[in-house]
Amino acid sequence: MGIEVVDPRARGLRPRREVQAVGVAGVLRRLDWLLMGALVSVTAYGLWAIDGITRHDAGGSSLSHQVLFAVAGAVVFTGALFVDPERYRRMWRPIYFGTLGIMVLVLVAGAATRGSKRWIDVGFFKFQPSEFGKVLFILVLAGFLAERRNAMQSARTPLAAIGFGLLPILLVFVQPDIGTALVYTAAMAAVLFVAGIRWSHLAVLATLATGIALAVLWVLPAAGVNVLKPYQAQRLTGFTHPDNDPRGATYNLRQSIITVGAGGLRGRGVGGATQTGLDYIPEHATDFAFASLAEERGFFGASILLLLYLLIVWRALKIVAGARDLYSAIVAGGIAFMFLFQVFVNTAMTMGAAPITGIPLPFVSVGGSSLITNFLALGVLQAIHVRRPVRRRG
Amino acid sequence: MAERTAPSRRFLPGDPRVSEPYRLTPQLALRVAVLGFLALALFAVLFLRLWALQILSGQRYLAQANDNRVRTLRLEAPRGPIVDRNGLVVVTNTPGTRVELWPSDLPKTWQARLAELRRLAAVTGVATKDIVAALAKHGNDPLTPVVVQRGIKQQQIYYLLEHQVQFPGVHLGDSFLRKYPYQSLAAQVLGYVGQISPEDYKALKKKGYQASDSIGQSGIERAYDTYLRGKDGTAQLTVDSRGRPKTAAVPRLTPTPGETLRLTLDIKLQRAAERALKYGIGLARLSSEGAYADGGTIVALDPRNGDVLAMASNPTYKPSLFAGRKDLKKLAPLLNPKVAKADNYPALNRATQVTYPPGSTFKPVTAIAAMQAHLVTPNTPLLCSPSYSAYGQTFHNWTPLINQWIDLRTALAMSCDTYFYRLGDDFFKLPSDRGHLLQGWANRLGLGETTGLDIGGEIPGLIPTPEWRCKQFGGPPCQGYVDRIWKPGYSIQLAIGQGDVLVTPLQMARFYALIANGGKLVTPHLAEDVEQSGSSGQPLRVLRQFGAQPPESANVDPAALQYVQLGLEEATHAPFGTSSGVFGNFKYDIAGKTGSAEKFVHIKGLPNAIKLNQSWWCGYGPFDKPTIVVCAVIENGGHGGSAAAPAALKVFEQYFHTTATTTAKPSD
Repeated sequence: MGIEVVDPRARGLRPRREVQAVGVAGVLRRLDWLLMGALVSVTAYGLWAIDGITRHDAGGSSLSHQVLFAVAGAVVFTGALFVDPERYRRMWRPIYFGTLGIMVLVLVAGAATRGSKRWIDVGFFKFQPSEFGKVLFILVLAGFLAERRNAMQSARTPLAAIGFGLLPILLVFVQPDIGTALVYTAAMAAVLFVAGIRWSHLAVLATLATGIALAVLWVLPAAGVNVLKPYQAQRLTGFTHPDNDPRGATYNLRQSIITVGAGGLRGRGVGGATQTGLDYIPEHATDFAFASLAEERGFFGASILLLLYLLIVWRALKIVAGARDLYSAIVAGGIAFMFLFQVFVNTAMTMGAAPITGIPLPFVSVGGSSLITNFLALGVLQAIHVRRPVRRRG
Repeated sequence: MAERTAPSRRFLPGDPRVSEPYRLTPQLALRVAVLGFLALALFAVLFLRLWALQILSGQRYLAQANDNRVRTLRLEAPRGPIVDRNGLVVVTNTPGTRVELWPSDLPKTWQARLAELRRLAAVTGVATKDIVAALAKHGNDPLTPVVVQRGIKQQQIYYLLEHQVQFPGVHLGDSFLRKYPYQSLAAQVLGYVGQISPEDYKALKKKGYQASDSIGQSGIERAYDTYLRGKDGTAQLTVDSRGRPKTAAVPRLTPTPGETLRLTLDIKLQRAAERALKYGIGLARLSSEGAYADGGTIVALDPRNGDVLAMASNPTYKPSLFAGRKDLKKLAPLLNPKVAKADNYPALNRATQVTYPPGSTFKPVTAIAAMQAHLVTPNTPLLCSPSYSAYGQTFHNWTPLINQWIDLRTALAMSCDTYFYRLGDDFFKLPSDRGHLLQGWANRLGLGETTGLDIGGEIPGLIPTPEWRCKQFGGPPCQGYVDRIWKPGYSIQLAIGQGDVLVTPLQMARFYALIANGGKLVTPHLAEDVEQSGSSGQPLRVLRQFGAQPPESANVDPAALQYVQLGLEEATHAPFGTSSGVFGNFKYDIAGKTGSAEKFVHIKGLPNAIKLNQSWWCGYGPFDKPTIVVCAVIENGGHGGSAAAPAALKVFEQYFHTTATTTAKPSD
């Protein structure tokens, strides 16, 4: 693999080790085929769902777009499969600063849509760095924590990790993109949890997080300090009283609940889904895709998707348990929980059980960055899995 | 890849260079398990919620989803036409287009909504604030459309249709506008149609009226709204979230047109009456005493059954101002109290909604009451002197050029005030246990109370009594206060229809109908029947006959009544009669009484109220078989014989299809 650049600070933590190349045959033999099956199924299902959801839209079905992105995602997945996670571990600093650089670039030169700067327009594709950043963020924090695995019991470790993590979170928050910022935060929490910091530290952090959330949403506004813009706060807390203002702030939420409920057991089909077809459900191709899926395909259709998600989460947790080293375990844990968090917050949001935040539904929502990132995340999971330790036979 | 098989077989844990092989620690296993349980719990929440929404409440949400998209449009029913007694169409419809707003489909943000309303205001010419007010008036109820305007122009329709995308929530619907072939004729009687007021809506909600309904606002249109309005139909269409229609409207219920209302009015007589009013006012203005004449009313009744044949009021207006595009400037005299005053209240139906002192036209009441109370016999002569003095006061006759003994007939014919002053004094002197006989008879003869006219809106007027006076001036107690005591002068004044007494011209017409028909009080009415609306030319089926209510006898002694009739006939024929110069040469035998009632009025440009004569004439014909009663009032028109009587004659001329030659002469 040529000349290795050895970071002097890494010395002593871990003996140097050759990066192991894994052949194609080995990869294929050792793949988690159940996870592969889930990936293929959820991709196909997502494409089928989005075709129905967007068929009545002004621009027509988004299927062809999504297929292109899925193909690109498959390429990214395959690429990730053949990169030893060890490389990421060693390169966490360049990855970190590279990610930060791009996020700053978004703020400086990004394309603004509906008052928020999230995208960099590269001509054929609107690239959303914060989506890819989700996986990179986990790789970076895992790299940092793996370096300090012997100091995990110290309070300084989680504090330093949070210090590292806070910067990208803030950069996403000011875009503004609260949903993605929350995903980052959740991923950070999961990474710290799997890395093995003390339970007492976890408890303090959880208390602290709850306190901050309460302060931002209730205490500070009451005192006249608004960290969030009023509409943001309304969207976050609106789900606790959806009927307060049916034509105003909670309009989307109410319509979303109606949309889900109207689907019934078997769904109303593409032609009969009036909430989706007549645009009553906003953003049905992206953030509220689950509501439209539930309307068109009913309880059966929505359940199939949820079960596929559950399958992925289960396999991801299996991979955490079987990981080759702490770094891989942290990465896999971070990815597993991030995935779970996104699925839960997005679907619960459409059903009025979670705050409204702009989080895409994995493998379903229209959007290339999100779809490719999900492929990348599962690619990294599989890369960890194929490099799991196994007992030699004989 | 073949050359790399050797290294690839060796997987990492076996590498001797790894000093500390990684193992799944119990701690990590525990944490993975925690994550696993968390995942299961969260998915359980999702499934339960999904189950609750889709399976348990699915039907409810399905219904709400359908409510979202289905708009029930109203198909307006054409309002029933109104025809006169001969079937001439007085009010009909002309098709129009109405602009309607569906609040639920307007933009959700205030700025976008206001911007759209501004655009709509620019197109329709209705002020933005009026549209906002109309929306607010209906409580911003999202599912009740608000009619912005009826009767927009073709160009406006095209514009709205072409720019539909810019006007979410704006619908165009077929509408019907009232059309008045005779323009301002009978305006106050017919009334007009307009959007239901919140108060009316509250009261009529249970009868199926809707907040966006049109409803008769006054007169016939209001009183017979239930028959005229018909029944609206409905159509349904599907709209998207921005209120843009996605399907054509599918009719669900066809509208039922309103029924035809036949009036007792004779529209030709009505036209003659309105022209006669203008003629009378013009005539009055020629004389110095009637220089301020500026309005009036003529009522014509059939004395046999109370059919209102004509009911004219001046000044008047065109009810078409209320149909379609509203010109606020032209409507101001009808809606703005200040402008209305300056224009002398054109919206008022002066036959029923304005009271005047009756003056000498009241004398037959005094005559009947005096005979019934046996204060006088018809043939007892009393002195008709230039003045009558009593209680230290002097009451003057309208002309000082007389001093002779006359009987009741002549007193009526000459309209001798002093004759009736004596009777008034006699009424005052009656012992209190006999009650207030004059006032009692006035009430029995239908004065000072509403007549029961079917369109309502009447005011009762006033027949003053001692009790009224006491109460009016702060009593009881009544004794010991100068103001509250009934003085003899009040009875004396009342005998000639002066003082506080106030009646409507319709009450007087009804009273003269009683004289004409031999003592029966009729109930005046304007509606004859309701008929099925057919396409033109078809014989119409009568659905409901309103007809005349049977006249009620007022229990007047026929003999007494006959003397009054003779007196009235003499008034129009004897050389000394007050209106013989007007009716003396008329081909048909008309009997009637003039009146010149003094009233304090405020005249524009004068600092104080001045006393002006209200010119009256009431009478009937033909004398031996009366079929029509006419009562005319010319406000500030001077003496009855010089303004009201000639105006009334014009009505008789139209009624009998003949003309007369008249000679004007001074009268009372």
